[in-house]
Amino acid sequence: MARSYLFIPANEPRMLQNAYVFDADAIILDLEDSVAIEEKHEARHLAKSFLKDYPKDTARTYVRINTQADWLERDLACLQDLDFEGIVLPKMTLKMWETYEKTALKQGFHKPVIGIVETPEAFFELDAIASIEQIEGLILGAEDLVSGMEAKRTLEGHEILYARSMVRMACAKHHILAIDTPWTNLEEAHLQKDITHAITLGFEGKCAIHPNQVPVINEAFAPSKATIDFALRVMKKYEETSSMRFSLDGQMVDKPVLQRAEDTLKKARFYGLLKEDRS
Amino acid sequence: MKHFDALDKLLDALPLENGLSISFHHHLRDGDGVINPVLRALKKRDIKDMHLYVSSIFPSYKAIKELMESGHIKDITTNYMNGPVAQAISQNGLKGTLKMQSHGGRARAFIEGENKVDIAFIAAPAVSRQGDITGAVGKNSFGSIGYACEDARHASLKVAITDTFRDDFTPQIKGELVDYVLEVDSIGDVARMASGTLKITKDPLGLKIARETMQFLTAIKAIKQDVSFQSGAGGVSLSITKMFNDYLKRHALQASFYSGGITGVHVDALEKGLVRDLYDVQCFDRAAAKSLFVNAHHHFMCASDYANPNNEKRIIKALDIVILGASEIDLDFNVNVTTDSYNTLIGGSGGHSDTAEDAKLSIIVSPLLRARTVLIKDRVNTITTQGRFVDVLITERGIAINPLRTDLIEAIKGSDLNVMSIEELQKKAYNLTGIPKSKNHKLSAIGIVENRHGDAQDTLYKKE
Repeated sequence: MARSYLFIPANEPRMLQNAYVFDADAIILDLEDSVAIEEKHEARHLAKSFLKDYPKDTARTYVRINTQADWLERDLACLQDLDFEGIVLPKMTLKMWETYEKTALKQGFHKPVIGIVETPEAFFELDAIASIEQIEGLILGAEDLVSGMEAKRTLEGHEILYARSMVRMACAKHHILAIDTPWTNLEEAHLQKDITHAITLGFEGKCAIHPNQVPVINEAFAPSKATIDFALRVMKKYEETSSMRFSLDGQMVDKPVLQRAEDTLKKARFYGLLKEDRS
Repeated sequence: MKHFDALDKLLDALPLENGLSISFHHHLRDGDGVINPVLRALKKRDIKDMHLYVSSIFPSYKAIKELMESGHIKDITTNYMNGPVAQAISQNGLKGTLKMQSHGGRARAFIEGENKVDIAFIAAPAVSRQGDITGAVGKNSFGSIGYACEDARHASLKVAITDTFRDDFTPQIKGELVDYVLEVDSIGDVARMASGTLKITKDPLGLKIARETMQFLTAIKAIKQDVSFQSGAGGVSLSITKMFNDYLKRHALQASFYSGGITGVHVDALEKGLVRDLYDVQCFDRAAAKSLFVNAHHHFMCASDYANPNNEKRIIKALDIVILGASEIDLDFNVNVTTDSYNTLIGGSGGHSDTAEDAKLSIIVSPLLRARTVLIKDRVNTITTQGRFVDVLITERGIAINPLRTDLIEAIKGSDLNVMSIEELQKKAYNLTGIPKSKNHKLSAIGIVENRHGDAQDTLYKKE
């Protein structure tokens, strides 16, 4: 579980040094788009040193690899036997999975994978992608998707509403993580609006392309104090009445509400937002 | 009071001799247009072995270096320096001695006769017919002239140098103190006053430190009605000030005063009613300079009223919170903002040691790592501010509270703050960088750091 997934270009030592400083729940060391072709080798070397020698943190650590066959092979070879959570595989389609799986099997590489769905093709096989056992979650990659659709990325997000909904539903069906697309404009108010769209659809976290986006994402995706308080009262009354159906504050509470309250408290505990966890 | 329209005519009238001591202020910062021409004119007259008392030295004060090299300047007493002069002194020392004071210490030393100045040259944005001086109006108005007050009161001769004559102002320095007025085309370029880091930072590390600082202040319940607050003009300090303002607004609180160097961010708080008064010894930007002239609750103050330790009415005696920086801090919380680890002069106390000593809560904010260099040393290279006056260190990787502040340690119990001992914080940094090799670089002494009370606190050495 993570609210924020912060991309860290693996070829930038200063960013690597501070990778865990910005309170992201997860970091994604990037060997792909943020690294120029001539710096791929150096980025692999730095990522390896980081994963090998850098003191571990509570944040989950992923690595986004390249998809071009020879680079993918070199990326996985360099990541062998290192301690990190999993791979982020861009341009995820069933065909891409086939290429990845073949290379990974050849190298004996076993890690959970988060796929980035960012091509129109992916959305016609989303259910199958989400059902792959090694797939831990999906990231919506809106920027590339919108380019592929020859559409325009907007603050309102109408152009990705369908894709967002599909990703969320596929993830919900297969009980994997639904992670929202990065917002590339650094204006905080715009980011907040984009987050609102994602939260409305049920996304659990979002990618960050700049450290300053992390606190905004963390706050937005954490349950609010009011939500936590309500969930606590729901669970208290449930324990008192032992009934799956009762009213609270004039609202009927039944199984789905109870389930949401449980989920809220689970998240709140995980993110250290419950007082009982702070003492 | 005599008027002159040319520097040479003025100098003809002044008693100039070898060993002369002269003073300047630094309010125009890098835009100063007085120090260089006056020094070069004195060099032309071959006045040797001068003692220069200048409140701070900025990169554009190039004539100081020229006169050091030619032997015309022998000693320097100042509160802060960076740029070529600092480099040259670090490299070669002076013919005489360098003395680094604090802003409050400089004022005290003038009043108590330790800083003995023959002639004070005062860049004055506006001068009246009576010789009154203000920094608040004029074509190069820089706002407060607080660091020149004691020069004007205690130098043997006082010269106001101005490019603007007008009478419609409240004097910051009374005309009765002024002996000579020199009219020049320009005293500098005030547009260059606001050079340096005067913008709210967007750097993620700086913002993280600012957020941690606010969380700390909130956890110890330090931000309350009538709180008083001071922060510097660096990007992180300004971010904290902005967040501090936002907090006051959200909680419908009003601070009693902000003090020290004032910027537009402080003025914004005054104009929104978030703080009752600003006490301004130095304006860091034009917004502050403009406000000093128009806002009745934006008050000019002299350096002695700001920070002189022997002035019982000094403003910072009532200061609750001060936010300060550090280039090094050690395990005893001693702070260095004067030199780097290789003895190069990179700054100086300014008001650092004054405010740390007087404020009820002094917080050092700084990145724990700058590239691969660790902030926390076993021993700082130079003690600018003694550790017993430093209460808290806040970095991006954790917070350390001075063990002397048991009240603060108690107050943060049960909070989510990432608090650890300063030794643990140092170890955390070393885990990332390795332990640096110890150096023995105390080669030859070039000067001293004097604390605000006038005692020698540390020795300055030549650069390695």
